Amino acid sequence: MSDFNPVTLFFILSEAMGGFLWLLLAAGLLLLGGVVFGVSRLRRAGRPAKRPLMAAAIMGTVATAVFTLLMPAWTLTDTGAFASGIDVAVAVLLGLVPGVLVAAAVFTMASLRCASRGPRVRAA
Amino acid sequence: MNRREFLAAGGGALLAGLPAALPATPAAAQTSGARARIVIAGAGAAGLAMAARLSRGMPGATITIIDAKKEHHFQPGFTLVGAGLWSPARVTERNADYMPRGVDWVEEAVAEFDPDANAVVTASGRRIDYDFLIVATGLKLDYTAIEGMDASLIGKEGIASIYAGPNEAAASAAAIDRFLETGGTGLFGRPAGEMKCAGAPLKITFIADDKARRQGRRGAVELIYNAHGPAVFAVPPVNDKVKEMFAARGVAVNYGHVLKAIDPGARRATYRTEAGDVTLDYDFIHVVPPMRAPDAVRQSPLPWQEGNLAADGWVEADKPTLRHPRYANVFSVGDIAGVPRGKTAASVKWQVPVVADNLIAETAGRTPSATFNGYTSCPMVTGYGKAMLIEFDYDGTLIPSFPFIDPLKELWVSWLIEEKGLLGAYRAMLRGRA
Repeated sequence: MSDFNPVTLFFILSEAMGGFLWLLLAAGLLLLGGVVFGVSRLRRAGRPAKRPLMAAAIMGTVATAVFTLLMPAWTLTDTGAFASGIDVAVAVLLGLVPGVLVAAAVFTMASLRCASRGPRVRAA
Repeated sequence: MNRREFLAAGGGALLAGLPAALPATPAAAQTSGARARIVIAGAGAAGLAMAARLSRGMPGATITIIDAKKEHHFQPGFTLVGAGLWSPARVTERNADYMPRGVDWVEEAVAEFDPDANAVVTASGRRIDYDFLIVATGLKLDYTAIEGMDASLIGKEGIASIYAGPNEAAASAAAIDRFLETGGTGLFGRPAGEMKCAGAPLKITFIADDKARRQGRRGAVELIYNAHGPAVFAVPPVNDKVKEMFAARGVAVNYGHVLKAIDPGARRATYRTEAGDVTLDYDFIHVVPPMRAPDAVRQSPLPWQEGNLAADGWVEADKPTLRHPRYANVFSVGDIAGVPRGKTAASVKWQVPVVADNLIAETAGRTPSATFNGYTSCPMVTGYGKAMLIEFDYDGTLIPSFPFIDPLKELWVSWLIEEKGLLGAYRAMLRGRA
């Protein structure tokens, strides 16, 4: 473990994923920008982030669960291959990658939609 | 490494499906300006990885790599081709794609090593002088040492062998399928001498067993593993575990059986045992050939002159440094190195930085200090979706990279490393980046 370092990990990921790594990084950056943009729009509109956050959490959790269950098929086997807690934990970690992307996308869309409704009107 | 770095690196590694089997080292931070002539004999995993590291670490050196082979095979993937999961194309690449810039590739075989004159001679008779020689020729699969056997028989007459190449591994997968359809007796085993990936004969036995169970055909086949010695694996805890698993899965084991001859027409295999020759009938046999040094190496002064590594021509090497004891400017890496256990890509991963760093240090006037502990690794596939991530050193001591992965437990995460992690790490290793 002491020999892992970020540069080596990057090269291994790059060799393993090829162009998909750059697509993934680009998607990540795009969605990060989307989240920041969504938050700023919400603030400017005076709207709370509660609903977009809820939607993102729900959809991100669902996506993580779905992708976690797809992990065995991705590795050419079936869910019966999960033999211990570490297997499930690693599958969830991997499932979190698309899960976080989905959550970010949902948050961006929901926050923009929320913000477009204008500022919340409070009762006098 | 503090706790945060540990978690970050470990999490990243797992997300990448990165193997502990191929742990990474930082690239050599120091360089040498020496204008040395370096010849690398062989453009396999060890030769290419060495060329990549030296071309960066010794920018003033003239590096020549000699190999006639143009295709590059990801050999750790042959098991998955033999399992019918991967196609041959997935493990086949071009050496040209990994040849470092500035390295002179002589597309010929080495015909002669002349370490007394610091020169090698290629198949066309071209003589190439060197200041330092890296022997990375790989090994020779000696199928014809088994009477009646020839690599062209793979895929025919119930004969399989995943070692010979990607297409032969695919033909072996088809042979397993035919065997499971027809039923009968399947024989497995390994040769007596040093061999590459000593876990592969066990893996293919487990795969045949698991495939039979999944197809509901386990009752129709008898599986027999013929161990060459008194154990099925050289590392005691692994041997105990595999024996236990074989017993639980109904795989019979014969000890002290070395395949001597095969009669493909009659489907009979003859084994040399202490009690004399024993002939077994089979419907399917997975043949693992004896492995030896290529002829050019065997006929040179480079191999061990005595001891158990001498007969097959492995290059004499100091275990920690891989330097030749009689020719101080000669090193051997990869399968050809005459050291115990290390004929795996995982060993190459650790051997190459040691030799490269020491060579760079030496030519820069520093004291070489890197050492190799014999690290090798075998993601022991025990079924579809399951593997044990076994790592050990020269002494056979288990040295797991990940504290949370039990090396003697069948896990999906170990399978994940085999199926998704190894190839990327291997390619990064070829480029000298892992």
